Amino acid sequence: CRVSSDGKPEKFQPPPKPVIIDRQKQREERRFLSPEFIPPRGRTDPLKFYIERKDMIQRRKVFNIPEFYVGSVLAVTTADPYANEKASRFVGICIQRGGKGLGATFVLRNVIEDQGVEMCYELYNPRIQAIEVLKLEKRLDDNLMYLRDALPEYSTFDVNMKPVSRLDHEEVPVNKLQVRMKPKPWSKRWERPKYNIKGIKFDLPEKKMKEAQKWSQPWLEFDMLREYDTSKLEDKIWKEVSEGL
Amino acid sequence: MMPIWTKSGEKHAVTLLKVQDCHVLRYISKEESGGKTSKLLVGGKNASPFSKSESAMEIFKEAGVPPKQKVTMFNVTDDAIIKPGTPLYAAHFRPGQFVDVTAKTIGKGFQGVMKRWGFKGQPASHGQTKTHRRPGAISTNKAAKVYRGKKMPGKMGNIYRTSFGLKVWRINTKHDIIYVNGSVPGHTNCLVKVKDSKLPTYKDCNKNPPFPTFFADGDEKLPEDLYDDEIFQFTDPSVTY
Repeated sequence: CRVSSDGKPEKFQPPPKPVIIDRQKQREERRFLSPEFIPPRGRTDPLKFYIERKDMIQRRKVFNIPEFYVGSVLAVTTADPYANEKASRFVGICIQRGGKGLGATFVLRNVIEDQGVEMCYELYNPRIQAIEVLKLEKRLDDNLMYLRDALPEYSTFDVNMKPVSRLDHEEVPVNKLQVRMKPKPWSKRWERPKYNIKGIKFDLPEKKMKEAQKWSQPWLEFDMLREYDTSKLEDKIWKEVSEGL
Repeated sequence: MMPIWTKSGEKHAVTLLKVQDCHVLRYISKEESGGKTSKLLVGGKNASPFSKSESAMEIFKEAGVPPKQKVTMFNVTDDAIIKPGTPLYAAHFRPGQFVDVTAKTIGKGFQGVMKRWGFKGQPASHGQTKTHRRPGAISTNKAAKVYRGKKMPGKMGNIYRTSFGLKVWRINTKHDIIYVNGSVPGHTNCLVKVKDSKLPTYKDCNKNPPFPTFFADGDEKLPEDLYDDEIFQFTDPSVTY
């Protein structure tokens, strides 16, 4: 057997294992189910959700609703009877996606001529002519309502922005931006643990941050009655939706 | 409840009602019932026979129908009598019709006068001693008594109430679902009675209703979904002005 340079017998080092990156498998695993398809927990008949889903799939066949997350920049054109060309376009960052089923909504925020404007659109409203995703990205939180109390530069987006090109198989980028806030008072006490915000750079003194932790409820994550496991539901709904489209 | 959009882009909220195993149970003639018109007994959702009394089971056995959870009476004219045992479907109603929906409201239990009757109560501070949600005075001095029917605390809810003049927007014949405008009394999945509207404005609304009712084994083959003329169907392109 081999003898090393210092005369002692070498310990057997196995050859390094080859790392196989299966691009095809990665592409298939990435699937996006819009959050309004997942029914809320309650005592309603699943038949109602099935019928609603049929209507939603029907609408998606005629009109394309692209994949987007909270934090992506969208441009929405709506039919407006009082506008000049009967269509109005609004560009903004999506700060919240709410509602389930046909009444699902999303709120876009932008600062136009130093005035903050938020528009709430319904995904399945027939007056919407087009939804374009100008920049697809995720943020650290599900709800960016704190942008109202952040410096206006974080909510301004150019109305004539060009769509940012991205490849199909890449993962959706997560923007780990930490937003600077205006001085207190804020509309909501965002430093409190119930909002669980990770995207703000808090410049508050340590004492205030420790005082905010007094309202933390550490038992909530262990509460079993609050658990809502959606994995099996999601699989069934994904199959239904992908067959429909 | 679900949103529904019209062709002009307006949104309306709509309640879904399912017609689940409805059968006609018995025909009661005018003389027997003692009213102005003859009546038809109709039964709703299927239930287990163990919770039904003997007298109730006799009616179901006579009609040849599984026992029902809810049994109601409908006043019918003599030309609209249906044979007992015929199933009733959602296609009995047509889009564009107006209906009244009756159901038992959500029971709230024993409630105080502010919630039950909408009294204003008393201020929270400025010297009020132990009096913030009380009814206050219940009668005058001259009356020297409390009138019958005085609004006081008591059991609230769990009584039959009707919503009148609700428009039917859409009918799903495959799953027997009626889409009715607005809200309806009762909790989710409660039993509900749907009748043609008695309001004088909607007296001549129904153009060609299925008379006496829609028979599934008849010659008519209806499409799966029946829509009102003004509804925006999701197969059309987006609304423009």
